Amino acid sequence: MSYLRLWWVHLRVGVMNELQYRVNFFVQLFNSLLSLGVGLAGWAIVFTYTETLGGWGRAELLAVMGIHILMGGLINTFIDPNMIRLMQEVRLGTLDYALVKPKDAQVLVSVRQTDFWQMVDVLIGLSVLMVALLQLKSQLGLWQTLAFGVALLLGGLMIYSVFLMLATWSFWFVRVGNILQIFRGIYEAGRWPVDIYPDWLRFGLTFLAPVAFAVTVPAQALTGRLTPLTLGGAALLAIGLLSLSRWFWNFGLRHYTGASA
Amino acid sequence: MKGMLDFYITQFKIELSSHFQYRFALLIRIIVLVIEPVIYLVVWTTVAEAHGGIVGGYTRGEFAAYYIAWMLVRQMTVSLGPSDVEDLIRSGELSAMLLRPVNPFHIFLASGPSAKVFTFLWLMPILAILVIVFRPTLSPALWEIATFAAALVMAYILRFVLLWAMQMAAFWITRASALTGMYFAAEFLLSGRLLPISMLPLWAQQIGNVLPFRWSFGFPLDVLLGRLTPLEVGLGFLIQVAWLLVGAFLIKVLWRAGLRRYSAVGG
Amino acid sequence: MPESAIRVQSLRKIYNVPVREEGLKAAFRGLVHRQLREVKAVDGITFEIAPGEVVGFLGPNGAGKTTTLKVLAGLLHPTSGEAQVLDYIPWRRHKDYLRQMTLVMGQRGQLQWDIPAFESFELCRAIYQIPLSDYRRTRDEFVELLELKDLVQKPVRNLSLGERMKCDMVAALLHRPQILFLDEPTIGLDVTMQKRIRTFIAEYNRRYGATVLLTSHYMADVVALCKRVIVIHQGRILYDGSLAGLVGRFSAFKTIEFTLENAAVDLSAYGEVLSRDDGHITLRVPKSETSRVTARLLTDLVIDDLTIEDPPIEDVIERVFAQEKIE
Repeated sequence: MSYLRLWWVHLRVGVMNELQYRVNFFVQLFNSLLSLGVGLAGWAIVFTYTETLGGWGRAELLAVMGIHILMGGLINTFIDPNMIRLMQEVRLGTLDYALVKPKDAQVLVSVRQTDFWQMVDVLIGLSVLMVALLQLKSQLGLWQTLAFGVALLLGGLMIYSVFLMLATWSFWFVRVGNILQIFRGIYEAGRWPVDIYPDWLRFGLTFLAPVAFAVTVPAQALTGRLTPLTLGGAALLAIGLLSLSRWFWNFGLRHYTGASA
Repeated sequence: MKGMLDFYITQFKIELSSHFQYRFALLIRIIVLVIEPVIYLVVWTTVAEAHGGIVGGYTRGEFAAYYIAWMLVRQMTVSLGPSDVEDLIRSGELSAMLLRPVNPFHIFLASGPSAKVFTFLWLMPILAILVIVFRPTLSPALWEIATFAAALVMAYILRFVLLWAMQMAAFWITRASALTGMYFAAEFLLSGRLLPISMLPLWAQQIGNVLPFRWSFGFPLDVLLGRLTPLEVGLGFLIQVAWLLVGAFLIKVLWRAGLRRYSAVGG
Repeated sequence: MPESAIRVQSLRKIYNVPVREEGLKAAFRGLVHRQLREVKAVDGITFEIAPGEVVGFLGPNGAGKTTTLKVLAGLLHPTSGEAQVLDYIPWRRHKDYLRQMTLVMGQRGQLQWDIPAFESFELCRAIYQIPLSDYRRTRDEFVELLELKDLVQKPVRNLSLGERMKCDMVAALLHRPQILFLDEPTIGLDVTMQKRIRTFIAEYNRRYGATVLLTSHYMADVVALCKRVIVIHQGRILYDGSLAGLVGRFSAFKTIEFTLENAAVDLSAYGEVLSRDDGHITLRVPKSETSRVTARLLTDLVIDDLTIEDPPIEDVIERVFAQEKIE
């Protein structure tokens, strides 16, 4: 499909450009390692006081942390840069250029930016995950790994939808530059399995900001906790959120172009 | 001195009015800052419940009190971002600020109080809801509240002064935000933000007592929760003042040296 | 080829803007009760543009030029009225329409800041799905025309404003659109650069027969490129016709320039003295008086080099805009 090519061209241009700036790699590495250190310290402290947290063991929690970092890296590489650029362009008036192109505007504004060096977090997250799986002496079957991959993908799509809806608000409130910060704060909750949270918070983390599906559910897949029901629910919710964000995007666009109040 | 006071008051009025326009942005920031302690509260409450209701000397209710008060302290001590000064230098905006008769330090510090008042107004109902939901055990005496307020103001100024001093490095290094990053990381673990300081391993506590992080965050918290003896409170204030002086001295030296370098290199 | 490239009928665009007042009390009130004010950006305009025409849109700030342009580019829905460009309704944003048009906004480029221009060109190629050979040919043709060979390799943020504009123009035209909407393309550029851009636009129009709708504050742009101008003021069309006709219709004066040997003579009896430099005099007289005053000057004084001219177009336009009522 031509849209796949569109994404690929933008990715290639972006990555080739960022590879030039090796300093950014080291800065990113520094910050990621710092973050990892703080995270591991927190994890270690909690587990000096207990053996399990909400039914999750020490190594399982490490796996959750790994996925949290990994998913965070993916969000920061592929989703966040595009949404920030979108909101910036609404503010500067240059979004018009994206709207006069003969490609679906939502796709265009969602694929054109990448922050390649954030992939460092993906590597770090994977490493932590590996260590955790080794400690668990887990034997991952093919289905489990597949389920993990699917859960990750669905979670990512849900996060994208939420980000897009947040960014679309800038059509009405131009000065909402830090609206994505809401998500950043909420995402922190994903460091721990959502089972431990009170019902109302768990609800929010599942349906409002799908952090549960981005982190906990893939972790469930790897630790033998995932039920087909949950995975099916994830698929449904992903479709639902994608549709909702698309509708909201079009609604926002109609407002921006003066087609409605 | 009167001129300085006038300046602060006028800044206050102007900023308060512009804050109404940016009410949305502030709301977002508040939501973000509320989520973090709720997470830790839930984690520790979960651990406590699995261990007979008490962990590290804190009951569930005491954890709730800790983290709800945490929100207040956090909001009131938030000041500079990781690269505020660095941005000023890089964008050249510093040159414009230097033309004004007021040191940028004061401009930044003065913009604090108005934001705090506004934040306080929004925060009160949120804290009230959280008190209802989490049922903290807290009943501070009047003098404890007063002392808390004083410690809080000191904490705000202290944190600001130290962050500003750290960011002076931006005159020499291009990525001074890395330094502030390390500061934030250490602060997160040692100041009482992640968890009450008394729950850290002993060696970490001892390090934390020497470093300024505890005194710009955890100290006012401990005062409010009544976990310190009057002697410890007095000592705490002294340490705050001591670090304040250190920070002020650093700023004085580094600012002058930094400006010299700045004008030499060309703004 | 459709009969007219651009057709606009009774176009209207009205905005509802919130009213903001000064002071703390008003800010409080604004929280609860928002007051709206109607702004008529475009208030009923009608015109037609034939294929290949280069038309200049003139008007003071806020006159409605940019709004009209955006409606025709499909970026805005009008409040009422109709418009067709190449037989498409612009705001339906049909892909086939978007492939045939382009928008360039002065001071706001579409190029990505941190990558070299030629990479942005590649992105355009992917977006417009331009066949490789066409793309290369067009790109090389434009790069040569604008002398960009060395510049396209540099990241855009390292280019000067003028160089950036040149690259932006190339990017905008790589897909060889038939309709060009140019919103103040030369604003902020130095004189040489303005000329280059103008020549490029004229050349593109010549080679590809594209229809160009151009808004500008610089008369030099309009004089160089547009045989026809549409003057907009307060959302309405004041004039639609040739540039020469504009001067003829709205200018009530002519200027007489001449050199006098005796520079100290009092000339107030003949007309308004606009300047006297070293014996070079510029005199402004009412149109109807021109021949009479000229005759008197030649009889009464010793004059070298007399020329009769229309006043500078800028002055004419200024007067046109100063009119409150439309005739």
